[in-house]
Amino acid sequence: MKRWHAAFLAAAMALVLSGCGGTGGGVSSSGGGKGELLVWVDNTRMAAAQQYKKAHPDLKMRIVTIPPDAGYVPTKISLANRTKSGWPDVVFLTNPAEVATLSSEKFGYAAPLDDLVPASVRDGFAPGALDTCTFDGKTYCLRNDIAPTVLWYDATLMTKYGYQVPKTWAEYQQTGLKAAKEHPGVIVGAVNGKYGAGTYFGSSGCPTRDTLSLTKVHIDLTQPNCTRVADLLQPLAEKKAITTVGPIDPAFSKFGKGHKILMLPGPAWFGDFMFAPAFKVPEGRIAAAPMPTWPGESKPYAGQVGGGAFLVSAHAGDRTKDATDLVRWMTTDVGLQARQPTYPAFTAAANKWGEAKSKDPYYASDPMPALTAAAGALRAGFGAVRYEADWQTSFNDTLGKAVDSGGNLRTALDGWQDKLEAAARTSGYTVG
Amino acid sequence: MKTLTTPRPPTVRAVPPARPRRGRRPARATAVWILVGPYALFLAVFGLAPAGYALWTSFVHDGSFSGARNWTAVLDDYRLGDAATHVTTYLLLWLPILLLTVLSLAFTLHARPGRTSRALQLVYYLPGAVTGSAAALLWLFMISPDSSPFSPLLKLMDIESATDALSGGSLIALLTVMGVAVHAGGWIVVLYGALNALPKDVLEAAQVDGASAWRTMWHVKLPMVRTYVAFVLISSFASGSQVFVEPTVLTTAAPGQISPTWSVNQLAYVYATQDGDFGKAAALSLAMLAIGLLAAWIVITRTRMYATNSTDSR
Repeated sequence: MKRWHAAFLAAAMALVLSGCGGTGGGVSSSGGGKGELLVWVDNTRMAAAQQYKKAHPDLKMRIVTIPPDAGYVPTKISLANRTKSGWPDVVFLTNPAEVATLSSEKFGYAAPLDDLVPASVRDGFAPGALDTCTFDGKTYCLRNDIAPTVLWYDATLMTKYGYQVPKTWAEYQQTGLKAAKEHPGVIVGAVNGKYGAGTYFGSSGCPTRDTLSLTKVHIDLTQPNCTRVADLLQPLAEKKAITTVGPIDPAFSKFGKGHKILMLPGPAWFGDFMFAPAFKVPEGRIAAAPMPTWPGESKPYAGQVGGGAFLVSAHAGDRTKDATDLVRWMTTDVGLQARQPTYPAFTAAANKWGEAKSKDPYYASDPMPALTAAAGALRAGFGAVRYEADWQTSFNDTLGKAVDSGGNLRTALDGWQDKLEAAARTSGYTVG
Repeated sequence: MKTLTTPRPPTVRAVPPARPRRGRRPARATAVWILVGPYALFLAVFGLAPAGYALWTSFVHDGSFSGARNWTAVLDDYRLGDAATHVTTYLLLWLPILLLTVLSLAFTLHARPGRTSRALQLVYYLPGAVTGSAAALLWLFMISPDSSPFSPLLKLMDIESATDALSGGSLIALLTVMGVAVHAGGWIVVLYGALNALPKDVLEAAQVDGASAWRTMWHVKLPMVRTYVAFVLISSFASGSQVFVEPTVLTTAAPGQISPTWSVNQLAYVYATQDGDFGKAAALSLAMLAIGLLAAWIVITRTRMYATNSTDSR
């Protein structure tokens, strides 16, 4: 008799306690029924959205600020899908890989824009910029900004040490080894998560996330495009010329403060958002060069680390045109984009944006030639995937660990391959 | 921990008809229902109904009944093994350390009552005032050697950056320290209160009989507060096995360093929010509920938690 009392109480207790572990949630807003254009943007894009609202007084429009956290938008859309209401008509993605989730059959959220945005407009984006948005020949998003990688370097240190800015990866490796020998503690790169995988493997064209469709991905780390990266980094790792400390880790600033960053291949936004504010590198030292060239190729290719994108909802109904107009203006208006903090995806806007950047006294020399070239040379095969988070952690688990412990990087590639395949399959891809 | 038992909803076994008890007046029964009613309602609406809905959801895939499909898919997921290993390791480290800390500090406070003891109670409780995401942010600051007041200690442990602190084994150690700091204080206060409520005559009798402080603690106080200890264990097991907030916040601070499916609850969350698969999320959550229930059942029966003076539990 008492026993089932105890069982019931135990059940009750566990139930109540299990509630404690859950997370709060719920769809914050629903623009659906009222004919109101519901727009979700992050804090940085807020001013532009408000400017659009002001310029269109007839348009009923509600703007909601969303946090830039990875996974936030899919979480909210997943809940909206569950309740079949509350979808935003326009959403900004701080993590463009999420377009793979949002346009998947399961989510069915992102609307194809091919019939809504003329090809002439889409052609105005940096070549390959919309590859992130494209699956099975359909374009599901427009890029707001892109993050092509360039070779950032400390021009003062280069002159002081008497080194030349490397033009090929072989030269990069030699310079790195020389620096490690002559000036211990100096680094020439960071291999952590997306910064390592996107910069080196992305630029080399190693198929770690080559999306063939929404459900098919090509992953093959045995290719020379991948092994050559392992071979490039192996001696640099052994001589501690590269670090596994993440660039956004506060500890990274000690490299900057101590003038230990000789070179740092990384995305375009490192220039404005990392070197001065985070790494504390003083004015007049940092410059940008194109990424080094891989053997057998005549020009350098850029990897990618970041950028943003706008999506239009498949549930927007008769607000679809308004939603598309907004997205088109946000991504392609030259005047607006020229004032945006990061490298515009729309080429005409990027040129305008660069006029101010060229005169920026922070840089030792004009970074725009390198940035423009990089934006025009995005390496293909770097698709938006639903296993983005695992792509990063598995890189750190395998390559990162090997770099740290002096392990064999080619062997680590096998481990990464296995983890990537497992992650891709779990995310609903067939691996080919 | 791949061998999760197939959980059942909390069913009520065949109940023998209640024998009418002598001396129980109807007024008293009404009072009992008034007291229990709001809780029962709360439990039904926010506990049993969602659990029932989750059970239904766990057998549905794409809008139609799918049998055990979600359950087998969860058990086959390669991430579950890793997550379960992480959580088990965390529990094995955290639970004993937490319990030992709570017991030893509460007994020490009780053995030496006075102003110092009261002040110390507050000190122990303070870290517990900062919980969840705020605690994770605070700790992120503490483990970054460049900003941490403990940087010499971190250097000693070969941690030179937050990246180091959040990778591999140091993450579990960090979560354990965090978990103890956050949870111990509250439980110390609870247990100290329980110790204070112990009948003075029993303790005096022990003293008169010449029992040492150690023997009094071990043979007199501990048996009398065992139900409280059991409660600490059940609650901590439930919150520990469902560890979610801390690794999640640490992940957002150092993306790529910690897997977003590090703990089992995080995996369930990823199913629902990133994979859009509520069926699998429900199945995994119910499996976690079953484990919590099982643990609670074991602790309750082993400590005879609901035994009262008037009736024996068996």
